[in-house]
Amino acid sequence: MAQKQLPKEFYKSMEELQAVDFVILELTLYLDTHPNDEQAIQQFNHMTQVKQHLMYQVEQYYGPLQQFGNSYSGSPWNWKDAPWPWQI
Amino acid sequence: MDSFTVRKHYYPYVSPFDPCRPMQVKQYVTPPNLYINYQPPNLPQFTPREALRAGTLWKAFYDPYVSPYKQRE
Repeated sequence: MAQKQLPKEFYKSMEELQAVDFVILELTLYLDTHPNDEQAIQQFNHMTQVKQHLMYQVEQYYGPLQQFGNSYSGSPWNWKDAPWPWQI
Repeated sequence: MDSFTVRKHYYPYVSPFDPCRPMQVKQYVTPPNLYINYQPPNLPQFTPREALRAGTLWKAFYDPYVSPYKQRE
């Protein structure tokens, strides 16, 4: 039987999530050397909030993105189902 | 002084017995972070989507490498 295919909306919000993740990564590295930059901290917190919302959205389509309590699980236990991150 | 550029060049020594067509000037590109010591706050930024493509969040560090020798072929 054919594997489940991910809908188009998944790819759009996944790309947004990847973009937000990248911004958070850059800000993390920046804030390591600029601990007092209020504006960057504010942007970091805003981006974290956006990421939580986006992760919730992506996980509706994809299933758990992370494990060990960082993502809710579907039922049945589905973190191992296709597609894996490199397959999407 | 002409405009600043990250692209530098030097003139290699060309021997009279050089078998191939000598390269009179050789170019190399230097990364922008050489010229920014301590990153100042509030630099202009890309949008998240652009930043993902550009590979950096701040426009000052955007450094697309274009081979100086491409136009030579």
